[in-house]
Amino acid sequence: MSKAGDWRNYKRVLLPPVKDLHKLDVYEAHEGYSALREILTTDKWDPTSVTDEVKKSGLKGRGGAGFPTGLKWSFMPPIDPDVPRFLCCNGDESEPGTFKDRQLLEYNPHSVFEGMLIASYAMGIKTGFLYIRGEFADWITHMEAELEKAYDKGYVGKNIMGSDFSCDIVIHKGAGAYICGEESSLMNSLEGKRAYPRIKPPFPAQKGVWGYPTTINNVETLACAPLIIRNGGEWYAGIGAQSHPGPVLYGISGHVNRPGVYEYPTGMLISDLIYEVAGGMRGGKKLKALVPGGSSTPVLRADMIDGVTMDADSLREAGSMMGTSGMLIMDEDTDMVSFLRRITHFYHHESCGQCTPCREGTGWLENIVTRIDEGEGNLRDLDLLMDLCSQMEGRTVCALADAAAWPVRYTIDRFRDEFEAKCKPSLVPSGADLVMA
Amino acid sequence: MADFIKHPVVGLPDRKPDPVIPADQLHFSDEEKKQIQTWISRYPTADGAVMRALWLAQEKFGFLPPEVVQLVADELNIPYANAYGVATFYTQYFKEKKGKYVLDVCTCFSCQLCGGFDMLHYLEEKLNVHKGETTEDGIFTVQEAECLGACGSAPMLQITNGTYVHNLTEEKIDALIDALREDRMPAFTSVTLPQDEDELGGNRRSDVEHTEAYQAGPVSETTR
Ligand SMILES: Cc1cc2nc3c(=O)[nH]c(=O)nc-3n(C[C@H](O)[C@H](O)[C@H](O)COP(=O)(O)O)c2cc1C
Ligand code: SF4
Ligand code: FES
Repeated sequence: MSKAGDWRNYKRVLLPPVKDLHKLDVYEAHEGYSALREILTTDKWDPTSVTDEVKKSGLKGRGGAGFPTGLKWSFMPPIDPDVPRFLCCNGDESEPGTFKDRQLLEYNPHSVFEGMLIASYAMGIKTGFLYIRGEFADWITHMEAELEKAYDKGYVGKNIMGSDFSCDIVIHKGAGAYICGEESSLMNSLEGKRAYPRIKPPFPAQKGVWGYPTTINNVETLACAPLIIRNGGEWYAGIGAQSHPGPVLYGISGHVNRPGVYEYPTGMLISDLIYEVAGGMRGGKKLKALVPGGSSTPVLRADMIDGVTMDADSLREAGSMMGTSGMLIMDEDTDMVSFLRRITHFYHHESCGQCTPCREGTGWLENIVTRIDEGEGNLRDLDLLMDLCSQMEGRTVCALADAAAWPVRYTIDRFRDEFEAKCKPSLVPSGADLVMA
Repeated sequence: MADFIKHPVVGLPDRKPDPVIPADQLHFSDEEKKQIQTWISRYPTADGAVMRALWLAQEKFGFLPPEVVQLVADELNIPYANAYGVATFYTQYFKEKKGKYVLDVCTCFSCQLCGGFDMLHYLEEKLNVHKGETTEDGIFTVQEAECLGACGSAPMLQITNGTYVHNLTEEKIDALIDALREDRMPAFTSVTLPQDEDELGGNRRSDVEHTEAYQAGPVSETTR
């Protein structure tokens, strides 16, 4: 059953239907920066109560891992005025199938800035870096122009709104590397190093950018902060699925009639999203499979989505993950072997090369899946692939190796007949054949 | 000395290639230097500004041969090796000369299933190049890109690390190539949200002229 309630009458809050909301004066006219003002100018709020409100909201990170945001903020060590600390807003958005942060940056940039400032206040941070992938050059220019306006109005910078809170925001332009979305890689990239992920622990809250306490959150996560302060954590917790609440931007792509970024509560039925929201399957075809949250999340077969809703619990039960809520919908004509081949190519291309299982493993995954796709594979290659996945999972510095292994493991597991059909027939009789004979 | 050391079987990279950028052009203007200093001031150490400085250098010189990387390193006062390490880590920094316009066609994931490869192959045939190659007249380089974060408007491409072209068709590519040959860059296009189309009549930004809606992608002829 849907956990999104009366979603047909849902009123958008992250991207409300307001013309020119990206302009500062329009944002101000629609309660923009009022949450920050309330925090800075009333006695009701101190850093701890802001974090507590976010905890109460139940907000979980929208960057892929779904970690509780309030809890993450409370990991920062006690404030020491001599030690700088930093916030990073993760706008690297490179997970295939994900395109929601770009829309948020374009259409509601000030909500991201306001969210960064609220988070900075809550954690005693004086500098926030907004890391945006280099490909989003046009959107970076756009954000820089809007940031300058926020500086001019005194919303960012020294003594914000006449208070004793000062905070700078720096927009950092990436240059094309999926791995920079991984939090510790992002930190190295910011520091002007090759963007190799770091071994954890130490975690960013202990030792982050330039060795100082750091918190990293996704763009959409931080854009929720002003909403939570303005309307209360309880209000937020009441939206969508109880255990994974809030508004969420669903990026729907693939074989549907009306792809795009949609804002709805969490806990939407997948079938509602496909058939009601996204206008149904292109050309009236049958649904074959879907990937619920970006290329790393396990693919689901059409027969696995009955009653499944878009929230962490329901998707886990169904055998997948929420990820970035970038959904790829595939129709009956999709060739799952070719599909997997392109995914393995992606991870091979994007592995930073630091860990042997990942650097070599992603290459072999691509080689072997390609071999099968070309009709040159043997049945035992399927077992070889599974073995390779086991050799990669959980054995590397960062989660890219896992993210590369999961699609292979689950696509083969769930569409094994298609892979077998593309393999060369086995020349050796199987064990079962021998027993029968 | 063993023979294979004197005559290696594989060609080793030239560690000190002749500079491509003439010495009299190899410098930043005062304005550019000031800009770099502003970037440096935003980070705890100068290294933080290296990515921006490399971007600036690439826009100025077209690509990043060793002498340009050295120039950036000198300007930031950081070791050459650090700047070189960064310049070679990211795909958007060009290590060799490319065409005047680089066309990055996304064939990843959603784009693969919505005609991305068809568009790539159409471009390859139209311009008579393989992916990764530059046309003989030096105008176009065609590349295969990984997901560019515009999966809903697949298939799509990006022009030289800048403008996105959404909802590609063969006709759109024809028009684009004609335009670029005359140095007419397509304008920034805002992709409207389906919910905005219902509630706001489409375009929510009054400051952009060109908008497009997300569209159902075409049926892929090929997926590789
Ligand atoms: C390989 C890899 C790539 C990632 N890419 C992104 C990304 O593009 N954007 C993002 O927000 N998080 C990305 N993440 C997740 C981040 O590491 C981090 O968990 C997230 O930014 C935290 O923000 P949140 O708590 O608000 O979700 C990636 C993780 C991995 C392992
Ligand atoms: S798992 Fe892969 S991407 Fe991550 S650090 Fe190791 S080699 Fe790099
Ligand atoms: S898959 Fe092509 S833009 Fe995301």
